[in-house]
Amino acid sequence: MSAVLQNLVNQPYRHGFVTEIESDIAPKGLNEEIIRLISSKKNEPEWLLAFRLQAYEKWLSMTEPRWQNVKYPEIDFQSISYYSAPKPKKKLASMDEVDPELLRTFEKLGVPMHERAALAGVAVDVIFDSVSVATTYKEKLAEVGIIFCSISEAVHTHPELVKQYLGTVVPTGDNFYAALNSAVFTDGSFCFIPKGVKCPMDLSTYFRINTEGSGQFERTLIIAEEGASVSYLEGCTAPRFDTNQLHAAVVELIALDNAEIKYSTVQNWYAGDEKGVGGIYNFVTKRGLAKGVNSRISWTQVETGSAITWKYPSCILRGDNSVGEFYSVAVTNNYQQADTGTKMIHIGRNTRSTIVSKSISAGHSNSSYRGLVRVAPTAENARNYSQCDSMLIGDQCGANTFPYIQVNNNSAKVEHEASTSKIGEDQLFYFLQRGIGAEEAVSMIINGFCKEVFQQLPMEFAVEATKLLSFKLEGSVG
Amino acid sequence: MNTMISNGYLENLIRSWQKPAAASLSWFDQLRANAMDNVNTLRMPTTHDEEWRFTDISPLSRLPYPAAYAAPQLQSSDIKHCYLAEAICRLVFVDGQYAPDLSNISNNAGAIIGNLSSLVAAHGDTIARYLGQLAEFQNDVFTALNTAFLHDSACIIIPQNVSVTTPIHLLFITTQKEITSYPRCLLIAESGSNATVVEDYVTTEEAAYVTNSVVEMNLADTAHVSHIRIQRDNQQAFHIGNCTVSLAQASQYYSVSITLGAYISRYNLNVTLAGEGAECTTDGLVLISGRQLADTHTFIDHVKPHGKSRQLHKCIVDGMAHGVFNGKIMVRPHAQLTDSSQLSRNLLLTNKARIDTKPQLEIFTDDVKCAHGATVGQLDKEEIFYLKSRGLSDLTARNLLTYAFGGEVIDRISISSLKRELEEIVLARTQIS
Repeated sequence: MSAVLQNLVNQPYRHGFVTEIESDIAPKGLNEEIIRLISSKKNEPEWLLAFRLQAYEKWLSMTEPRWQNVKYPEIDFQSISYYSAPKPKKKLASMDEVDPELLRTFEKLGVPMHERAALAGVAVDVIFDSVSVATTYKEKLAEVGIIFCSISEAVHTHPELVKQYLGTVVPTGDNFYAALNSAVFTDGSFCFIPKGVKCPMDLSTYFRINTEGSGQFERTLIIAEEGASVSYLEGCTAPRFDTNQLHAAVVELIALDNAEIKYSTVQNWYAGDEKGVGGIYNFVTKRGLAKGVNSRISWTQVETGSAITWKYPSCILRGDNSVGEFYSVAVTNNYQQADTGTKMIHIGRNTRSTIVSKSISAGHSNSSYRGLVRVAPTAENARNYSQCDSMLIGDQCGANTFPYIQVNNNSAKVEHEASTSKIGEDQLFYFLQRGIGAEEAVSMIINGFCKEVFQQLPMEFAVEATKLLSFKLEGSVG
Repeated sequence: MNTMISNGYLENLIRSWQKPAAASLSWFDQLRANAMDNVNTLRMPTTHDEEWRFTDISPLSRLPYPAAYAAPQLQSSDIKHCYLAEAICRLVFVDGQYAPDLSNISNNAGAIIGNLSSLVAAHGDTIARYLGQLAEFQNDVFTALNTAFLHDSACIIIPQNVSVTTPIHLLFITTQKEITSYPRCLLIAESGSNATVVEDYVTTEEAAYVTNSVVEMNLADTAHVSHIRIQRDNQQAFHIGNCTVSLAQASQYYSVSITLGAYISRYNLNVTLAGEGAECTTDGLVLISGRQLADTHTFIDHVKPHGKSRQLHKCIVDGMAHGVFNGKIMVRPHAQLTDSSQLSRNLLLTNKARIDTKPQLEIFTDDVKCAHGATVGQLDKEEIFYLKSRGLSDLTARNLLTYAFGGEVIDRISISSLKRELEEIVLARTQIS
C-alpha cells in the first residue's frame, strides 16, 4: 500500500541474533550411545536412563505420522545434535555467576530476569538450547513449599516426585515425537505446588535455541496438588539460520482435586525468511490431566513463530466436575504452516470444556484448526462449547477447520461453531475516515478479533502478544 | 485385515467379472474394462483410512455376494405401494436390472428418459461424454466396481429449456438375498432445464444383500434440479451410495437425502460448483436405531466465484446405533465471494447411541463468507417441561419433539405424497415407549 506498509511487511525477525557462547555439543546422530552420553552428562539415576532407553526402543518401532496438514521435507534424525549446552558449565549459585554474554542475550530479548524479575514479579527458569541456565526467585517460592527448578535438578533433589509423575500424562510411546523427546530430553522445567498453596507469582520459562543444527527437546512437568493453583508462562525465540531446526517438547500437567493450572505460551520461534527458508519445526506434545474433582486446566497460546507449528494442547477431564479450557491465536505469514488445536477428552461426570481458537493467515501461509471433542460413555452431563474463527488476509493463503466431535453419551451437550472472515474494505474505510491510518486500523481490527484470547493472558504477556501481532501482520493488507 | 477383506468380497467379484470380447471393445466396454483395471489396483478401505475411520465395513468380507444377473420375476401388483402418486414417469430396476414392464416412460413431458441400452443408439455421444466421467473410479473401489459391472442404468436427458413439472421416480428394488446390485443413474440437465428426480431404494427381502449405487448429474448453465434420495433398505443390508454432481454457471441443485435403512450404510455426495454463481442446497436426515450404522460424507467444492451452498444435516440416533457425518466444504483459490453455511445437528435418544461428526472447512481465498456449526445433545429439558405443563405426557412430549426435529428436513421435500409417507415413517419410529 504505502512505503510504511512495505517496511512493515519486511519487518525483520527481531530475535534473530546468535550469541557467541562456546557450546558443549554432542556429535550428531541418535543411537543408544548418545542417550547414555546425555544421561551420564547429566549424572542421571539408573531409572531415568531406563526410561529413556525404553522410549528409544519404542521410537525405533514407530513411523513418522503423515496425516497432518503440513508439508516439510523428510527430517533426518541422524543429522541432529541431541545435546548442546553452553560452556563453561558449572553449578550456578547466584545470578551473578551466569555468563554475562548470556545475560546480555536475554536482555536483548527483554526477558524479565534478575532485577527485571524483581520489578515484574516473575520467577523465570531460562532454558538455553537444552540446558537450564538460571532460575530466579527460587528461595522465595521455597518458603511456601513450591518447587520450581529445572527438571534435571529435580531429578536429583526430588527424584520421588519426578519418578511418580514423569510420563504419566504423555506416555513414552504416545506418539513419534513424544517418544523421541522421552529418549533424548535434556532439560526443562519442573514445578510442584503442594497441597492448598496458591502460587504467589506467575512462574515463567524462557526457551531459546541458539546452536545451529541442534534440536531442542525440553520436558516440562507441572503438578498441582489438592487445592493448589498456579499460572505458568512460556516464551520462545530462536536465532535465524537457513537450516530448519526441530523443536519437539513434551509438557505434562497434572491437577489433583480442586487444583488449577493455567498454562500460557507466547511462541515466537524463528519462522523462516519471506521465501520460507529456514525456521523452526515446532512439533510439541502438550497434555494436561485434570485428575481430581473440580480441577481445572487452562491452555492459552499465542503462536506467531515457527516455520511449522504442529501441536494440540489437550485436556483429559477425568475428575468429576473438572474443567478444560483452550484459548488460541495462531498467526501465520509468508510460507508458515500451522496445524494446531486441542483435544478435550471428557471422562468424568459434569465435565466442561471451552475452546476458542482464532487463526489469522496472510501471505502464502496455511493455517488449520484441528480439534477433538470426545465424550466417553461415563461422562454424564458433559458440556462443550467450541468456537473457531479464521481470518484470511490475501488470496494466496489458506484456512482449514477439522473439528472431530465424538459423542458416546446422550446427556452430553456439544456445540461447535466456525466462521471465516476478512478485513473488509468498509471496515478499513471507516477507520480511515476517522483519521486512523491503515496500519493502525489493521492492528486494531486484529486485536479486536483476538480479544477473547488475549484477555486470558497475564497482563505483560498480553501486551507482548499484541505487539508481536502488529509486527507480524501490519502491512499485509492493501 | 486388508487381505482378509479383499480375499472375500473383492476377490469374488473380480473373479465373477466377465471380460468383454476384444473385438467388441466399444467405448462402453472400454469404460468397464478401465474400471476393472482400477478395481485390481485398489483395496477395500479399512478404519485406518481417514475417510472410513468410523465406518468399519470389514463384515463385508464375510459376504462374498456375487453380482445379480438373473432376471427377476416381479408383478406390478407386488410393488404398487412403492409408486409415487405424483410421478407419472417411472423407471424401475429390480436387483439392478431394468424392468421395462414395471416402468412407465410414456409421459415424459419432453424429457428423454430410459434405460441406457435403449438410449445409447440415439444419444450415444451425449451419454459417452458424461457416463463414468463425473463419478471418478480412480480412487474409489466402490465406484470402480459399479462401473466395472455397469449394465443397466437410468438415463435422463432434459433438453434445453424443457421443464418437467412432475417428478421422475427411479425405483430400485432388491428382491434377492446375498447378491450385490449395482444401481446406476445418469442425469444430464441441459441449459435452462428443470426437473425433479426421486431416487428410491426399497426391498422385498429380509436377509442381507449389498447395494452399491452410483449417480452422476451434470447441470448445464441455469439448469435447475431437485434430487430426493430415500434409502429404506432392510436392517441387514449394506448400502454404499455415491453421487457426483457438477454445476455449471448459475445452475441450482437442491437435494434432500433421507437415510432410514441398512445395517451399514455410507452415502458420499460430491457437489462441484464448477461455474460462476452456482448454488446448491444439500439437506439430510438420518434416522437409525438398533445396531445400525449410517455414514454420510458430503463434499461441496467451490471452484468458481459467487457460489452459494447451504447444508442442514440431521441425525436421530436411537438404540445402540451409530451416526457418522463428515461434511467438507472447500473454497478453492479465486472462488471469491463464496457464501457457504453448514449445520450438523444430532440428537441422541439413548445413552448407548453414538455420534461422530466432523464439519470441515478448507478455505483458500479471502473474500468469502463461510460458517459451519455442529451440535450434539439430547432433547431440551425445558422444551419437554413446557409441553408437559400443557398436559402432554412425558412420552408424547418426547415423541413430538423428536418428530419435530426430523420434520424440519422432511418439510423441505416438495412432493406432498412422499412427504406424508416419510412423516408417517418418522412418527412410527418415534412412537416407542
